[in-house]
Amino acid sequence: MHYQTAASWGGYVTAVVVGDPLERIERMASENAVVIFSISTCCMCHAIKRLFCGMGVNPTVYELDEDPRGKELERALMRLLGCSSVLPVVFIGGKLIGTMDRVMACHINGTLVPLLKEAGALWL
Amino acid sequence: MASHRLGQTGLSESSPSGHHYGVLHGINNNTPASAAASTLINQGSAFDFGELEEAIVLQGVEIRNDEGRAPFFTSRPAATTLEMFPSWPIRFQQTHTGGSKSGGESTDSGSGVNTISSKSEPHFEFEPESPISNKKASASSSELHHQKQVMASGGALRTGPSQNQSPAKSPQEKRKGDGSSSSEKQLDAKTLRRLAQNREAARKSRLRKKAYVQQLESSRIKLTQLEQDLQRARSQGLFLGCAGAGGNISSGAAIFDMEYARWLEEDHRHMTELRAALQAGLSDGELRIMVDGYLSHYDEIFRLKGIAAKTDVFHLITGMWTSSAERCFLWMGGFRPSELITMLIQQLEPLAEQQIMGMYGLRHSSQQAEEALSQGHEQLQQSLVDTIAGGPIGDGVQQMVIAMSKLSNLEGFVRQADNLRQQTLHQLCRLLTIRQAARCFLVMAEYYARLRALSSLWASRPRETMMNDENSCQTTTTEFQMVQPPPPPHHHHQNHFAGF
Repeated sequence: MHYQTAASWGGYVTAVVVGDPLERIERMASENAVVIFSISTCCMCHAIKRLFCGMGVNPTVYELDEDPRGKELERALMRLLGCSSVLPVVFIGGKLIGTMDRVMACHINGTLVPLLKEAGALWL
Repeated sequence: MASHRLGQTGLSESSPSGHHYGVLHGINNNTPASAAASTLINQGSAFDFGELEEAIVLQGVEIRNDEGRAPFFTSRPAATTLEMFPSWPIRFQQTHTGGSKSGGESTDSGSGVNTISSKSEPHFEFEPESPISNKKASASSSELHHQKQVMASGGALRTGPSQNQSPAKSPQEKRKGDGSSSSEKQLDAKTLRRLAQNREAARKSRLRKKAYVQQLESSRIKLTQLEQDLQRARSQGLFLGCAGAGGNISSGAAIFDMEYARWLEEDHRHMTELRAALQAGLSDGELRIMVDGYLSHYDEIFRLKGIAAKTDVFHLITGMWTSSAERCFLWMGGFRPSELITMLIQQLEPLAEQQIMGMYGLRHSSQQAEEALSQGHEQLQQSLVDTIAGGPIGDGVQQMVIAMSKLSNLEGFVRQADNLRQQTLHQLCRLLTIRQAARCFLVMAEYYARLRALSSLWASRPRETMMNDENSCQTTTTEFQMVQPPPPPHHHHQNHFAGF
């Protein structure tokens, strides 16, 4: 339990209770083979969930709009990826893959499936 | 024919080529013919001045012969001759005395007949005509028929002379029966003149028709050019703000349409270059450069579409930027990658086993991605429906605001779809050999060009048939029944068609 100073949070003074968001994200991401950070009402998030389900993968989905500290996490992800509309974000085997763009590209160029298999999310 | 006749009659051999001197032709010198002549001159069609000369000669002859007969012949033809050739040196004398030939007839040099006529006595003039006139008489039956037609066609336009000629003909015909030598020659001359005039008129009307058809053709070309210009101008936004079918186009959409048109031209260039390169058998290295260039060309359109999606996503997603046949197969504002791959697998045969597997794998991945995007898009639509249909809490403004924010997600889907297309094309290039990739691009270009051509053909098909189709829809079933043989075994077929 530690407090972040305003400087490291870019002007925001927050009282962090459990770890810094990025760490939390890392922790959440490594707990499962496929982790998706999403917003429940977002249609693109729905699309990405359908993509993995269609491939036979069972992803772990964190709906940040239902998380009390979801905003923090979303902001952290934004800083991590460097773009404003960041969700949905996918981690496979604890490694950051990216947003819908990257996931589609990986799937088309044939790197997604090996990653999934490596992470144990896919068999066969 | 001309020289043959000239030789026969002992006329001068110095007949210029291209002049038809079979018979001294008469020109019906009333206004329509002169108008026709002037229009023909204006249009620069192959106009035979030699025949005009003859006409003038014959006019002089006719005038001389008709002296003392119907006065309308004397004044009118010369007057209308004057009207017909205002630029010609008019040396015509209205009245002619026996021996002299007017200067007007001898204005044109090199005219064998004219020289002869200037030399000869009036009566001698008819001698050349008589052997010819016999020939003409034999052909006169067909000529008469034609001349009747010509007369009938020109009847509405012609004024006095035509009506006057017909009564004049009957005395001629009556005289023909007399058989006296001098009057016979005169009669023959008159018949000849009449026939010649009609031949002349027929020829003139043929030339007129030809000129008219040429005018129509050029107008048609002009029309299509205007239509193209109009379309181009419209896509450039010159008609912004005006109501109407193509009027309500946003500037973003107009700009994109213009850029897309330019891209299509570039595409055509790439296609022809690549085709030539394949046929010329360039090396793999050189082909690779061209294929990479083609790939960048496709990257460019996806970039442009990305910009357009920000300004006018509806323009993209409804497919108004593309041709109607392509719109038929539209998925998320463009082609469906899995459909393209299916087509390519067929067209690029033969492929190596590994490549076929790769292509099928690519198609499978693409289908999964397409499905995911489609489902996401469906959820967006459902959400929109709920928002718009749902009762407004308070006024509808809040509702609209929510709907607007949901609509903004549409851009994301079009972007992802284009991203999918772009990735698919890149992956294709990785899977295939360089030669196969070149063929792949050619097949694609050809395929979409054909779809565009189909769209134009469909758009320009004759509309009248639409009415007929509607009417015939109801009658085809009965027609079918009538066409089908009546025996019982076919009865079922008849019923099926009738029900259809």
